[in-house]
Amino acid sequence: MVKVVVIGGGWAGCAAALAAQKAGGYVTVIEKTDMLLGLGNVGGIMRNNGRYTAAEEAIFLGAGELFNITDRAARHKNVNFPGHSHATLYDVTKVEPMVRQLLKEKGIRLLIQKRAVDVEMAGNRIKEVVLADDTTVSGDVFIETTGSTGPMGNCLKYGNGCVMCILRCPTFGPRISISLKTGVEDILGQRAAGSYGAFSGSCKLNKDSLGEEIVKQLNETGVCVIPVPPEDVKKEKLDMKVCQQYALKEFAENLVLLDTGHAKLMTPFYPLEKLRKIPGLERARYEDPYSGGRGNSIRYLSMAPRNNAMKVKGVDNLFCGGEKSGLFVGHTEAIITGSLAGHNSIRYCLGIPLLELPVNLASGDIIKYANERIKTPEGLKKRYTFSGAEYFERMKQKNLYTIDRDEIRKRVERVNLINIFNERLI
Amino acid sequence: MPEKKHECIDAGSEYCPCYLAEVNECITCSQLQGKSFCDCNWRGVCIYQEYVWAGNKSKALRKEYIGEVLERIPLTDDAMILKIRVTKTKARELKQPGSYIFLRDLKKPDFFNVPMSIMYADEIEGIIYVAVQILGIKTKAIQAVEDSIVIRGPYWNGLLGQRYIKQTFDSECLMILRGISQAPAILVINKLVSQRNQVKVIVDPGKIGKIFIYDFINKEKVEVIEQDFLSQEGWKKISTELSNKNLSLVYSGGSDKQHLEILTEMEKNNSNAYLVVTNNSEMCCGEGVCGSCSTKIDDNVTVKVCKVQLDVRKAIERRILQHG
Ligand SMILES: Cc1cc2nc3c(=O)[nH]c(=O)nc-3n(C[C@H](O)[C@H](O)[C@H](O)COP(=O)(O)OP(=O)(O)OC[C@H]3O[C@@H](n4cnc5c(N)ncnc54)[C@H](O)[C@@H]3O)c2cc1C
Ligand SMILES: Cc1cc2nc3c(=O)[nH]c(=O)nc-3n(C[C@H](O)[C@H](O)[C@H](O)COP(=O)(O)OP(=O)(O)OC[C@H]3O[C@@H](n4cnc5c(N)ncnc54)[C@H](O)[C@@H]3O)c2cc1C
Ligand code: FES
Repeated sequence: MVKVVVIGGGWAGCAAALAAQKAGGYVTVIEKTDMLLGLGNVGGIMRNNGRYTAAEEAIFLGAGELFNITDRAARHKNVNFPGHSHATLYDVTKVEPMVRQLLKEKGIRLLIQKRAVDVEMAGNRIKEVVLADDTTVSGDVFIETTGSTGPMGNCLKYGNGCVMCILRCPTFGPRISISLKTGVEDILGQRAAGSYGAFSGSCKLNKDSLGEEIVKQLNETGVCVIPVPPEDVKKEKLDMKVCQQYALKEFAENLVLLDTGHAKLMTPFYPLEKLRKIPGLERARYEDPYSGGRGNSIRYLSMAPRNNAMKVKGVDNLFCGGEKSGLFVGHTEAIITGSLAGHNSIRYCLGIPLLELPVNLASGDIIKYANERIKTPEGLKKRYTFSGAEYFERMKQKNLYTIDRDEIRKRVERVNLINIFNERLI
Repeated sequence: MPEKKHECIDAGSEYCPCYLAEVNECITCSQLQGKSFCDCNWRGVCIYQEYVWAGNKSKALRKEYIGEVLERIPLTDDAMILKIRVTKTKARELKQPGSYIFLRDLKKPDFFNVPMSIMYADEIEGIIYVAVQILGIKTKAIQAVEDSIVIRGPYWNGLLGQRYIKQTFDSECLMILRGISQAPAILVINKLVSQRNQVKVIVDPGKIGKIFIYDFINKEKVEVIEQDFLSQEGWKKISTELSNKNLSLVYSGGSDKQHLEILTEMEKNNSNAYLVVTNNSEMCCGEGVCGSCSTKIDDNVTVKVCKVQLDVRKAIERRILQHG
């Protein structure tokens, strides 16, 4: 029996757990909060721009379960909003229980409200993970998917303080860097201005607090674009965003609202009094982060050096995925990197060659490209997502972007990887 | 390899962040150790947040105040219980196991301060009790105190392994006490009883010559046995008690040598019980500043045991090694 321990139950961790389980591992997921999915509980946008290609690739590669859930939990499909086409918006209030049930059905052991605080090493291998309650979880191979958000001190130093985001550090304790505990230094993302980290790029308003017209439009179309009073337009705010795919002037001049169960507001934060000056938003209040009028969470302060098979450099039996594994933004990106990490964790234990996704797939290309870029100072200021900015441009240039399913299937067939993530290796 | 994190007893209390934060020496928070990123030994609050919100200033140090000595109850010629009136708030702050204060005669300078465990704190009347054994210069000065006594506190690190006390419920506990160490045990006994534990207390009165805890505990709920355990026969009884596989928690009140013997015995028996011991460091400031309590744990790591909840085994071994 190969024992796989996943630390962090966000999208990347859940995907890693599924992939490792399907490849034959006995999998445990350690999650500090009371919910799986981490930032996935406050996002919702799937399949916008190049994410469509990537999602379909993942489905053909055999990592379709989670995309199946986000499709089933969709409130709106084929939505267009400034700079973005054919998005699916999943309902954030539905998706977590669906994923939790799936993981349970697969026999994955979930340790919820358990926070990893340290590791015990045997030479260059992790022997076990130590939890905050002093118990330990041992394993043959470990996958770190703790993300890169917070904790409080970082949000204070590089942001506007703890704004009570979904990870709820004051309640559940801070994120830690497992790779750092093994002695491997973290890589840090930078902001355009050279400071560290970046603000999360969107927040959520309580839908019941919005005007009837706005709610109606959101429910019917999924999108509502409201002009910002000219005196309140702040273009410099675009620089500090994580989500460079939304750093377009349309997002400074307008409030873009998307219906993901709550009303997702595509800006890092917006002072409440100013927000309430806008017609229809007179009663607005924040749903996430709770202090969205003040700031947002700070991310990308903790990436592990890795190879393109998602193995952390410098530790024998540690893999990584999601934001922990690079300057990736997005659920899709987390699911893909996590799936590869999970699959490879079993290959590693069996001593068979690790899988690298080829660069003629968008997923293989982004994993490799982000890893190259992270080694350069300019690259550290960029974020990598199929949905926009630098990487979507590259997808288009390399002809990787398509929404033609047959074409995507052919690409995966050509590299002989159809259903690879569904193969049982043990 | 990154260093292991230490647990500060004051973290999150109203005395946190303390002066150490101002000079980048916080025991808990990496940001307040001068590092750029979070990597803390979380104790339930963000100390950095508290610090920044207070305008990058630490909280005030504990201040000295005057207590009124209401009564002295002699135990022997060289030991007594002092009943001292303080404010109700002060008494309330001293109710948790491990609480101690510094005491000194009003007429004497600071360096006469002597650490003393709280035996019992009555928050309704605003009264605390301490038991003092007269040994040398500082305690003789306490003996000479008249109506007023200078107190500094509250301090809390009088026991090592405190979290085990907090987490033990509905279990069997064994407490082994010798001499004046009966005093700090009272808060522990009462806490364990309130958590529905079955508590057995074995007391060797030692130089104090008698058991003085009865007035402060619920005798019906606690089994107290008198037993001289320096004799071979007595120790045998202790080791039989320690071999009880149902024990969840063992408490040793006494010297480091006693702690070590108990720990060795527990290991011989493969005991799974947690060990809690009195913190016998020499202390002077209690604030992690003066260095009286410094204990070297690993080759390059020195820890101030007045604030740090040191691993029990490390504390005992190191101190016995250091002091021969
Ligand atoms: C407000 C907001 C909106 C977003 N909207 C979208 C969107 O619409 N579409 C999109 O594609 N992307 C969106 N993103 C980005 C996307 O959510 C993330 O990039 C992605 O979900 C990251 O997944 P992850 O698994 O790598 O990390 P996380 O989601 O951060 O998961 C890490 C998990 O590890 C846990 N953890 C951390 N430390 C420990 C520890 N020591 N012990 C145990 N558990 C631990 C955390 O609690 C968490 O559950 C959004 C992000 C934010 C903040
Ligand atoms: C947290 C704590 C709680 C204590 N509780 C009690 C108590 O409830 N009742 C009681 O009688 N005693 C208690 N003590 C011990 C008491 O503080 C010492 O006996 C006293 O300091 C001796 O000082 P002295 O000048 O009279 O004797 P000295 O002749 O200087 O020393 C006698 C012994 O006391 C030790 N000692 C000396 N100075 C200190 C010091 N500053 N801190 C600790 N130990 C010292 C010496 O190592 C020596 O073993 C406690 C000590 C600590 C650290
Ligand atoms: S007693 Fe002063 S540093 Fe510990």
